[in-house]
Amino acid sequence: MHLVVCLKQILDPELPPGEFRVDAQKKEAVRGSASLVISVFDENALETALQLRDAAGQGKITALCVGPESAVDALRRALSLRVDEAIRIREEEFPALDGFGTARLLAAAVRKLEPADLVFCGREAGDWHGAMVGGLLAGELQRPFVSLVAGAQRAGEKYALRRQTDEGWETVECAAPAVVSVTNDDANQPRIPKVKDNMMAFRRQIPAWGAAELGVAAASLAGPNAALEFASLYVPKSERQCQVLGGENAEEKAAQMAKKLAEIQVL
Amino acid sequence: MKNVVALLIAAPGSLRRTEAEVLSAARRLADGLGGRVTAVILGAADESWTADAAAYGAERVARVEHAALGSYQAELAVEAARQACLALQAEVCFVPSSTYGLELAPVLAQKLGAAVVADVTAAAGDAATGAVKITKPVYGGKANSELIARQAPLVLAMRSRAVAPVEKKAGAAAEVMKLDVQLDAALAKSTIVERKTEAAGGARLEDARIIVSGGRGLGGREGFALLEELAGLLGGSVGASRAACDQGWVPASWQIGQTGKKVAPELYLAVGISGASQHLVGIGGAKHIVAVNKDEKAPIFQAAEAGVVEDFKTFIPALIQAVKKHKAAEGK
Ligand SMILES: Cc1cc2nc3c(=O)[nH]c(=O)nc-3n(C[C@H](O)[C@H](O)[C@H](O)COP(=O)(O)OP(=O)(O)OC[C@H]3O[C@@H](n4cnc5c(N)ncnc54)[C@H](O)[C@@H]3O)c2cc1C
Ligand SMILES: Nc1ncnc2c1ncn2[C@@H]1O[C@H](COP(=O)(O)O)[C@@H](O)[C@H]1O
Repeated sequence: MHLVVCLKQILDPELPPGEFRVDAQKKEAVRGSASLVISVFDENALETALQLRDAAGQGKITALCVGPESAVDALRRALSLRVDEAIRIREEEFPALDGFGTARLLAAAVRKLEPADLVFCGREAGDWHGAMVGGLLAGELQRPFVSLVAGAQRAGEKYALRRQTDEGWETVECAAPAVVSVTNDDANQPRIPKVKDNMMAFRRQIPAWGAAELGVAAASLAGPNAALEFASLYVPKSERQCQVLGGENAEEKAAQMAKKLAEIQVL
Repeated sequence: MKNVVALLIAAPGSLRRTEAEVLSAARRLADGLGGRVTAVILGAADESWTADAAAYGAERVARVEHAALGSYQAELAVEAARQACLALQAEVCFVPSSTYGLELAPVLAQKLGAAVVADVTAAAGDAATGAVKITKPVYGGKANSELIARQAPLVLAMRSRAVAPVEKKAGAAAEVMKLDVQLDAALAKSTIVERKTEAAGGARLEDARIIVSGGRGLGGREGFALLEELAGLLGGSVGASRAACDQGWVPASWQIGQTGKKVAPELYLAVGISGASQHLVGIGGAKHIVAVNKDEKAPIFQAAEAGVVEDFKTFIPALIQAVKKHKAAEGK
């Protein structure tokens, strides 16, 4: 069994709004003191893959990241969580990538690897929330795509995928090979790496593949989204004044709150 | 661009708010562009969907009722949608940002050679140029991005609760057509073998008038039991932050926010929730936001109109008593 997990490295999404700035000219967030992390749903995706391998008692996991030099940190983290292989795709060789381009690069990398049963993506990246690379990658590879998965199990030749719906849950049985997008659930919370695995990961070489290794030309990557004009990026204004409901103790504050609820006619 | 399609995936019962929003987004864009809306209904939806789609402003309703579309299946739905979009010469195709919408949108866009944007909150048309201005919040709602599309085709997945439904015109007439598609059952690579509806604690969160919501600050399931008691008294439902769902204290379907439910209650009472932007994204439609948090610096107080700085363990039981007292005084 071979599983591939696609990881994006992003600006820490937990950065408080007060510290968040955008560069309106460059149309991107200002990094400031924020750290770079693995996008949250990609951590859930990685955990889902690790659990599938644990349950099978065998199998190989490869992590892929299209990113700049700094992205080796994200891949190193994946290695410390015991993925077998981690490969960086040299984003610097492919300027102005959109979701279609990213999907094409990931598809080229997946084709170069040994055949993968399942390819895991996050439901959406935690910075731009594109929510498209998984589906586009499936299309590139001509494989089925299943969205919002939170757990995967072997079911004979197929996989049983538990996924979130608007009303609750579904189990989707899907033939491999397939691409899935992963959402968060209490069952796929990321594990913590062991100290010795951290040390092992630190010593690993992380290969970087570019246009030559992947056999793709930067000019061939633009998809239909390249025709969209990115007109602006701005921080919306919000001015709300919070009325603090005070009091000597919880009872007094509760009485104030009950009064407030009556005022707004919900009580 | 003038040909706007609202793609509706059949579901049991009558047309829901999700579909009404997709139809409304399509209607507003078509008005801006001087274009027209075709509602495409994929699968065997109730007969009433046709009249409802017309009432929400579709000039044309195309029903795609191939036997293979009995219940949703990804590859068949995408193929049917692709053929419908081509037959109708769709220039802009709206879908919801639901589980199925998010599954369909990128794959459909790729097959159509269309640009695709998900989690869209507004799409405005310019009749003079035919361009479409798309608004999409990014960075967990901390910023907005605006994109301009000048070329068709386009696939847009609308965020739920982002657009108010247009006024419904009962009895509005539409051209109704059956649209034939060629589907080979062998296209299907997956089967939905089990469906489970997770009971909400009260009314469906999307429709609830009052929501009492808990976060990591509740520390466990017991905290949520208190919230359920309070919600019961107020006639409301219980929701949660991602952190509380991830702990397994409550079902994932209770999650509110960027990647959870979008809600629009009269009252949203946030308890032990810090107010991360990704959570606030889900409650933008709430009329009144009130917060309880033991940290006076919690960002939730910047989003709330009223707040109490207190430990929920002492405060919520006191509030339950105060509500009971108020109700008794009112004779309710
Ligand atoms: C791409 C992406 C999507 C996301 N989607 C969502 C989403 O849909 N929904 C969502 O909620 N989050 C989402 N998040 C996560 C979000 O960023 C926050 O991590 C999350 O909302 C935090 O949950 P919380 O407020 O419950 O926990 P915390 O931030 O840990 O806050 C807990 C709060 O409880 C208070 N507290 C502690 N003890 C008590 C007590 N005894 N009494 C009263 N108050 C107390 C604390 O002061 C604190 O303010 C997303 C993140 C990303 C990156
Ligand atoms: N640069 C990237 N490198 C690796 N995987 C990516 C990259 N961008 C997106 N992905 C994957 O695709 C998912 C969806 O991304 P997006 O469509 O950009 O929201 C992410 O959660 C990742 O799993």
